[in-house]
Amino acid sequence: MDDSRRKLYEGKAKIVWEAGPGEAGPGAEAARTYIVEYKDDATAFDGKKRGRIGGKGRVNNLVSALLFDLLEREGVPTHFVRTLGDREMLVRRVKIIPVEVVVRNVAAGSLAKRLGLEEGAPLARTVLEHYYKSDELGDPLINRYHLRTLDLAADPEIDRMESLALRINDILGGALEECGLRLIDFKLEFGRTDTGEVILADEISPDTCRFWDTETNEKLDKDRFRRDLGDVEEAYEEVLRRVTAGAEKWRVRRRGARASGGERPAHARGEWPAHARVFVTLKSTVLDPQGAAVENALRTLGYDEVKSVRVGKFITLELTHLSPERVDEMCRRLLANPVIEDYRFEVVPATAPPAGSPPPGAPTGTGGKGQ
Amino acid sequence: MTPAPRRVRFGVVVFPGSNCDADAHHAIGNVMGQKVEYVWHGRTDLEGFDCIVLPGGFSYGDYLRTGAIARFSPVMNEVARFVERGGLVLGICNGFQILLEAGMLPGAMLRNESLQFRCLYVHLRVENTDTPFTRACRPGQILRIPIAHAEGNYTARPEVVEDLERTGRVVFRYVNEAGEATPEANPNGSVANIAGIVNAAGNVLGLMPHPERCTEELLGSADGRYIFESIVAHVLAEGGPRGPTAGSPGGGVVG
Repeated sequence: MDDSRRKLYEGKAKIVWEAGPGEAGPGAEAARTYIVEYKDDATAFDGKKRGRIGGKGRVNNLVSALLFDLLEREGVPTHFVRTLGDREMLVRRVKIIPVEVVVRNVAAGSLAKRLGLEEGAPLARTVLEHYYKSDELGDPLINRYHLRTLDLAADPEIDRMESLALRINDILGGALEECGLRLIDFKLEFGRTDTGEVILADEISPDTCRFWDTETNEKLDKDRFRRDLGDVEEAYEEVLRRVTAGAEKWRVRRRGARASGGERPAHARGEWPAHARVFVTLKSTVLDPQGAAVENALRTLGYDEVKSVRVGKFITLELTHLSPERVDEMCRRLLANPVIEDYRFEVVPATAPPAGSPPPGAPTGTGGKGQ
Repeated sequence: MTPAPRRVRFGVVVFPGSNCDADAHHAIGNVMGQKVEYVWHGRTDLEGFDCIVLPGGFSYGDYLRTGAIARFSPVMNEVARFVERGGLVLGICNGFQILLEAGMLPGAMLRNESLQFRCLYVHLRVENTDTPFTRACRPGQILRIPIAHAEGNYTARPEVVEDLERTGRVVFRYVNEAGEATPEANPNGSVANIAGIVNAAGNVLGLMPHPERCTEELLGSADGRYIFESIVAHVLAEGGPRGPTAGSPGGGVVG
């Protein structure tokens, strides 16, 4: 470790450092990055239980790196830049939004307790929860109204976090299935970049996910520590082994992971109505006259920080059922012109809105008219 | 009895939002004296035609992208088959945009570099006279033809442009009065001042300028006639498209 580093924050499981000279590459990159060090220290039940899991820091760093990399390649923006050895990774500088977003596919942990469900009972619908990150209050469960009242995040940011969380669930659910891991539930944290973009931050590891063996339902995550089930270190190492093996397969067959069935949520399996949001932009190699005009206008208004502007289209599709392959085909055949345009799309389940509240991630579409 | 000289049979496709269809009909029928009829976009039979014109306008409101929706009209499947049989297709302005979207010509259109709708007379240099659309022209001839579009900024990958240039498929280029392809003579930012191109087989032409708007001196220029005269000369010399022969031309023929 470099002595010239400045420690910015130390939490229960990680330390955030400001990179020392030369550690994070050229100066410009260093100015936009932090170094995250993963520790072997383990806590549970809001710090009431403490201990150490040998090798945990290494496992969590490497598993997070592989899963962040997978998500990035599937179009999910994350703070991950690259690993710096076994226990550290270089990440983009973000301000963490103090909300934990939890996605659940199977009843376990506090959900099973709160709703009186048997642990291991599959949930008919994916459940998404928000927790307020506050050690003082013990990370209480909150809803969108609380989020608004506490001004923790703006509405579009909440939409963004929810839609990314569900998409991450789709991607990880299928990919981990291939590794023999059932994704029971997991916790995500998001951060704001300098430009205000909301991206995935924190970690994705056996500390923050429940992984069960697909065959035996054996727990391969931090529950082994919480509940004194033994073989904690072995379980963490096993997760790393399986995810590493899986990552090789994903690399070879990038799109295969998306198509696999298994325990993926109904809307991702195409059995549930879904919304697709399609983003069409001119290829970076193509001159964008509209973008150039808007850029000039913004500069004229005094927004000197604007470096460049690209104008694109945002299209929402309401679907009776979801087939990513067919949405991809729609993009290629009609919605985008591959000669000059790039596209990407994201998918969110079209949930029936509970009385009085908008459905999570409901599109606020503006139609697809050009110009 | 001596048979009357054969007249060439044109079809002008009408999409919802076409607005140069009547001009094309007038130029071909009244000025050039050929047979011409409107072809509704839902039609699926183009037998008996020698040349299909995809006219200018704002098909389907230019929604999504210019030409993006028109290319899926029923008639476009038939146009593709017509092209395969060797029939001539002339895409003017929005018609050119539709041909690009349909992949019948390479490349794509962007908004004009100026972001303005440009409506003015331009000078075009004929770069290749060995096409069915330019055989009545002299090599290097300068034509004066109007343009009227907001999205005529032709673009394609560098290797595509290079291929078009090498194989003589750039048929018209924007030039100044002296015939030089300068940046100032380029009204929309098109790569290499390209104003019109043909497909590899040479029977599909797309161009942004409007030849149908300048077939009479009264309108300021009659240079558009060269293109229609070329088509007529080509069909009379080479014959129409191969394939199933048509019965006698149907109604709606204007003489």
